[in-house]
Amino acid sequence: MLLELNDAVLNYGKIQALHGISVEVAEGEVVSLIGANGAGKTSTMRALSGVRGLAAGSVVFDGEDVTKLRADQRLRKGLVLCPEGRGIFPGMTVTENLNMGAYTRKDKAAIEEDYDRVFGLFPRLLERKKQVAGTMSGGEQQMLAIGRALMSRPKLLMLDEPSMGLAPMLIQQIFDIITEISQQGTTILVVEQNAKQALSRSDRAYVLETGRIVKTGTGSELLDDPSVREAYLGVA
Amino acid sequence: MSIITQYTNRLRDRLDVLPTWVRALGLLLVVALAFYLPYLNVLPFAYIRTDLSATGTDWASVLFLVVVYMIVAVGLNVVIGLAGLLDLGYVGFYALGAYSVALFGSTSSPVVEAIQNKFGLSEEWAVPFAICVPIAIAMALIAGVILGAPTLRLRGDYLAIVTMGFGEIIRICARNLDNVTNGAAGITNVPVPPGPEVDGRPFFNVSEPERWYWLALVVLIILIWMARRLEHSRVGRAWLAIREDEDAAAIMGVAAFKYKLWAFAIGASLGGMAGLLFGSKQQYVEPNGFMLNLSFLFVAMVVIGGSGNILGVLIGAFLLTYLPERFREFQEWRPFAFGVALVAVMILRPQGLVPSRRRAREFEDRKVEAEEAAADV
Repeated sequence: MLLELNDAVLNYGKIQALHGISVEVAEGEVVSLIGANGAGKTSTMRALSGVRGLAAGSVVFDGEDVTKLRADQRLRKGLVLCPEGRGIFPGMTVTENLNMGAYTRKDKAAIEEDYDRVFGLFPRLLERKKQVAGTMSGGEQQMLAIGRALMSRPKLLMLDEPSMGLAPMLIQQIFDIITEISQQGTTILVVEQNAKQALSRSDRAYVLETGRIVKTGTGSELLDDPSVREAYLGVA
Repeated sequence: MSIITQYTNRLRDRLDVLPTWVRALGLLLVVALAFYLPYLNVLPFAYIRTDLSATGTDWASVLFLVVVYMIVAVGLNVVIGLAGLLDLGYVGFYALGAYSVALFGSTSSPVVEAIQNKFGLSEEWAVPFAICVPIAIAMALIAGVILGAPTLRLRGDYLAIVTMGFGEIIRICARNLDNVTNGAAGITNVPVPPGPEVDGRPFFNVSEPERWYWLALVVLIILIWMARRLEHSRVGRAWLAIREDEDAAAIMGVAAFKYKLWAFAIGASLGGMAGLLFGSKQQYVEPNGFMLNLSFLFVAMVVIGGSGNILGVLIGAFLLTYLPERFREFQEWRPFAFGVALVAVMILRPQGLVPSRRRAREFEDRKVEAEEAAADV
């Protein structure tokens, strides 16, 4: 397994957000985590990326226990989070944002290649190279966030709600790109409210409810599961 | 965007496209003018002098204080403007710089007397000025690290309160540690920088304040150059990312805590440097010279001037130091005018008089974010 989250417990003060959940991601997979608002999706991402520490449980990445490592140390190992919503640097330009993605890298030639790759995936960003990120639309900011995460050459790319607040057309487009990134060889863990898109694009998925994993299976299994269909796909 | 901003932006765009040699020449002229300022005596320009009336303050001394506070502003700008950390105890580092040079360099300091007795040195002996400088900078730097290490995990207002406490602790220690600092009596005979004797007096003496001004100006120019280099380095990029979004910076691989500590330490050492110049020119330090309100004045310089922009904070430091001296006749109105000016700037131009463009954009973004949040409710 590339990533293992074992019996993770995460608290915000006295409120327990994760009640001992376990998630596994194998190399090359696309795994999604679906659930409603407040189910603990973002908390799981924070625990995995190291933005917040765990009260109990462990994170193992690439065969190494990274539970005690800070977020910046985990990034250096290749565990990279693309945060939800306005997670970009609003005062920086597109190029500067992408530059920050490559902050820990010194291999100039490879960084140039990655610029080309990101601009290839998101031609829109190339057009807006010099634009200040805070002034771009929600969809463009999301593209930038993904592009920035790619600039750090992740082994595992974790995407937190990539479709949040976007128009249906754009959601489709973003997921197409996620699929493309996966085909280029990056393992992906995606957290989504948009269950239909997420499930149809994933190898495996977990269903999260109030801080617990209630169901797991392949994407198509869960798409056909009556209770999932009722709760998350809006079909009886 | 306000009309003023549009206008200043256009002006800046125009300055930006000027050829390098024109800009270099302009800079040279400004620097030359700065060095000439103490002798400024041509009407009507001489009206900016502060010693026109009988109650006025010595012009060169005011200029010296302006430059010392500019050094403070450049240092505090690293902490507030670049790293985005609100430090309300900056006067503590300033005091440490001044006290360091007094404690180790003055023949009448208890510390020097203790060293004299221990090693049987003559009563004339004290640590030479040239060695006091690195001591003062090191003391401020170490204090910055000691203060920062446990407190930089705090954010925003919490950090501000802790640092405010630090500023007070330094002053109270200076007042109460009688057998180290002479307590409220203060320390006299603070050493001056070495220099050739002119007419049987040291080069840097009380009656020639313009020499002190020039010295401070040289130090300021060197520090500005260093601060600019730092701002555009890898460290500067890390600060910028932390300021904009600390979590995002961390998940992009920026070791946030380490860089915040760096900002604190570098800011502190600049504050120490300013304090050292101040203490040395006064040739006397006492705890009441380092009251808490000085910290607020320092923060006001940075915020009013335009945090994040060196030109802005220089202007802030100039206005808040120079104007009260120029208009001494209206002394009883000073706190009132200061208050009104502060409120006016915060309402009309919250990003400061001459902000960095990036900071201005961040302000815009926060405004949009706040409006969106309000609309969601």
